[in-house]
Amino acid sequence: MNAVSAWLTPQTAATAAFVMVIGLTILGALIAVGARNIFHNVLGLCVSLFGVSGIFLFLNSPFVALMEILIYVGAICIAICFAIMLSEPLYLPPPPRNKAKVLGAAIGSAGIFVFLGLLLKKTQWTAAPERSTDWSVTTIGHYLLTDYALIFELVSLLLLVAMIGAIVIARGGRGNP
Amino acid sequence: MVFSDPILLGCLLTVFLPLSAFALIMIFTRDNPKLSLAISLVAATIPLIIAWTFFFKLGGRAPIIYNFDWMVSDLVKVPFGFLLDPTSLVMFVIVATISWLVQVYSIGYMAGDPGFGRYYADLSLFALAMLTLVISSGLLQLYIAWELVGLASYLLIGFWYEKFSASEAGKKAFVVTRFGDIGFFMGLVFLVIFYGSLDIATVNSAAVANSMPPWLITTSGLLIFCGVMGKSAQFPLHVWLPDAMEGPTPVSALLHSATMVAAGVFLMTRIFPFFAASATTMTVILAISTLTLILSSTIALAATDIKQVWAYSTVSQLGFMAMGLAAAALASGTLFAGYYHLTTHAAFKALLFLCSGVFIHHFGTNDFFTMATQGGRKLVIPMACITIAALALAGIFPFAGFFSKELILTALAHLDNKLWLVLGLFGAFLTAYYSFRVIFVMLFPKSPEAYSKVPGHIAHVEDEAHGHGAHGHADDAHGHGHDEHHGVPWVMIFPLLVLASFTLILGFCQDYLEKLLLGASHPHAMNYFLLVAAVGCALSGIALAWLDWGRKDAKCVGFISRFPALQTFFIQKWYMDHFWRWFLNRFIYGIFSKWFTYNDRRVVDGGVDAVAFSTVGSGRLLSFIQTAFLQYNLLFMVVVLAGVGIYLMMGR
Amino acid sequence: MLLFNQLQTYLYLALVLFAIGLYGVLARRSLIAILISVELILNAASINFMAFNRFLAPHPAVGQVITLFIMAVAAAEAAIALSIIVAVYRKMKSINVEHATELRG
Repeated sequence: MNAVSAWLTPQTAATAAFVMVIGLTILGALIAVGARNIFHNVLGLCVSLFGVSGIFLFLNSPFVALMEILIYVGAICIAICFAIMLSEPLYLPPPPRNKAKVLGAAIGSAGIFVFLGLLLKKTQWTAAPERSTDWSVTTIGHYLLTDYALIFELVSLLLLVAMIGAIVIARGGRGNP
Repeated sequence: MVFSDPILLGCLLTVFLPLSAFALIMIFTRDNPKLSLAISLVAATIPLIIAWTFFFKLGGRAPIIYNFDWMVSDLVKVPFGFLLDPTSLVMFVIVATISWLVQVYSIGYMAGDPGFGRYYADLSLFALAMLTLVISSGLLQLYIAWELVGLASYLLIGFWYEKFSASEAGKKAFVVTRFGDIGFFMGLVFLVIFYGSLDIATVNSAAVANSMPPWLITTSGLLIFCGVMGKSAQFPLHVWLPDAMEGPTPVSALLHSATMVAAGVFLMTRIFPFFAASATTMTVILAISTLTLILSSTIALAATDIKQVWAYSTVSQLGFMAMGLAAAALASGTLFAGYYHLTTHAAFKALLFLCSGVFIHHFGTNDFFTMATQGGRKLVIPMACITIAALALAGIFPFAGFFSKELILTALAHLDNKLWLVLGLFGAFLTAYYSFRVIFVMLFPKSPEAYSKVPGHIAHVEDEAHGHGAHGHADDAHGHGHDEHHGVPWVMIFPLLVLASFTLILGFCQDYLEKLLLGASHPHAMNYFLLVAAVGCALSGIALAWLDWGRKDAKCVGFISRFPALQTFFIQKWYMDHFWRWFLNRFIYGIFSKWFTYNDRRVVDGGVDAVAFSTVGSGRLLSFIQTAFLQYNLLFMVVVLAGVGIYLMMGR
Repeated sequence: MLLFNQLQTYLYLALVLFAIGLYGVLARRSLIAILISVELILNAASINFMAFNRFLAPHPAVGQVITLFIMAVAAAEAAIALSIIVAVYRKMKSINVEHATELRG
């Protein structure tokens, strides 16, 4: 019991939870990329996104974590599901893997991995000298409506355009139903 | 600043009023003759008032210069502005007055023409250009105005553009004067490169102070004289001026006799010290202008179109002015003789043309034999005025031409080589002969059969279909036919009277003008031999004309018909048109055009084609790389990015 | 030093996520799978922003705002991409990128 309680400090628990979250993220990502069934990919993406939102919790931001779940899992994944339903039927056998292509992709992403890893390793990260501790949602809202009001408006415009564009493209155009 | 300075305001008004009149008429009121006329007249009257006011207020004072920097660089400064000195003031008055008179005259002459509004717009454009030319302070500004004048001239010569010969004549005038302007521009470029200033006052004082290299003065002086040759119709570029008579007669009076063609001579007086600094230039000018004088006088002997006669007399008088200037420069005299002749010539030549315009308007023909047989002398006032003007042209006392010709001949007499003087006197003799040939034919008409032996006249009758068709058109356009003999409107008479009085007065203003121009009046040592010789030449010319054309039993063929070869030579205008046609065909079309066409086809087009073909070809070639497998493209991108990134990271 | 209190942890995590996403973009044939991979890449970027925000930035609200913007852009991108996918499927009866070869040179 003692040994257990010695292990079971809040830090250990948090670390364990963190490792779980990381595992969830990477596992989900692997499923999202590796599974041959497209629907499994979406589910893997969902898992990974849950993991990412957990990471956001660890990064002190429950609001963004919530938004992650709401927007990604709630909106984007569902939209992808719709796209799956509207396109190729799931019962068709997936085409066989192309070995060369997989190998090439692996080499490419490994190359980028090495490059960015080196970059991470060799960069000396320095924190800002004065750091505010204001994490409240109120401040985020304040920023959205003052400093970033223009970007905010642009994003809303972007969403509107995307919506119209999506409708126009998906409808198939005039005379071509 | 502008409004507190009345002189500057006046200059600006002079330039911008005609400009705005041109724009207004062209854009808004082209189809409304009355309104166009009103706008144009206002824009001509105010400069007229300004001109006379300046003339009397600023005449005796030091030159007034307004300069605004236009293009400034390290070595070159090109100003634009106004230069009001006596030289420009006199010309300013001449231009403003004659253009105003011609605008008034045109009310009658052009009445009912469908292009009435356009005509006045073009006249305003001309006024803008010419007034700017006269009062501009820099040579580049003058050059711009010079080209604008050429444009206005082109538009007005080709005013009846439906007529093929008119549009051809406009083109000819434009191209030939442009030919000379190339030289003018090159002269300016020389000046800019090697001297660095185009300011008139600076150039003049530099030439006087010998601070310019002599070769530069000679080179750019000769080049600038090319422009003068084009604009003032000197040999061999005179060919455009007689053809320019295709335009409406008031236009001929304004542009092609009194003001615009005088722009060349005016330019010579403008930078007279500069020209005078090079004896070589001046000798060349003297030779060319003398040749022009003789050539055009002899051609005028054989012409039967009244406007052609005056056109050639204009060419010869312009040559006379240039002779006067060149001779004065060579004998270290002053610009007064040539400039004075420019002044008087403007008055009597405008008068001649406007009178001829009355006849042409009335009888619907350009042939003065036809006019005479149809009773031209019944129009009393125009007949009297044209006689006065012809007397002035011939140089008879007390008319204006007498005094100015006398001065020029005096200047010629000061030269060592007396040949120039003899040629000048011969020119004066011919001038008197051909002008009184017209006058006697008009005053004492014989029966039409009597004139059937006149070479040009017969040609004209044969040419009836063409000539009359064209004029029939003009008359239809005017809205009154050939037969409709009506009174001459007062708007056409009034300018005649004004100009006739100028012709009478100007001769006695010699001292006043000289004092104004040179600051002091030099008492002239009267050269009585010269006086007698000049008047004798003029009188003998008139007498010969009387023998040939005037007296009752005159043979009406002209003394020149004794020498048929010469006569043909003169009727064919010394074959100058043939020469230019041959020159064009042989050199311009035959060599330059061919070569440029070849260059265009093979080098320019070929180069462009080669670029296009190689672009297309390489595109075709490279398109095989495009496999449409997006992921491979992306993979290559990623691999290269990773490789470069890793390489850079390893280095650190 | 705790694992979750280090910047490096998060950056490596984001790097792994990015590499997996990149592999998916390069290797998968289905347009939808590629889209899913792109979403992973975007999430890696978000994690980076949040991590820098947590450990380095002078004001912690800024990174969150940017992450929100990334989400919004991702949503727009997904909407457009999905509609393109639907249109492509309608035209070619397939959503395999290797079949989209009309522009081959």
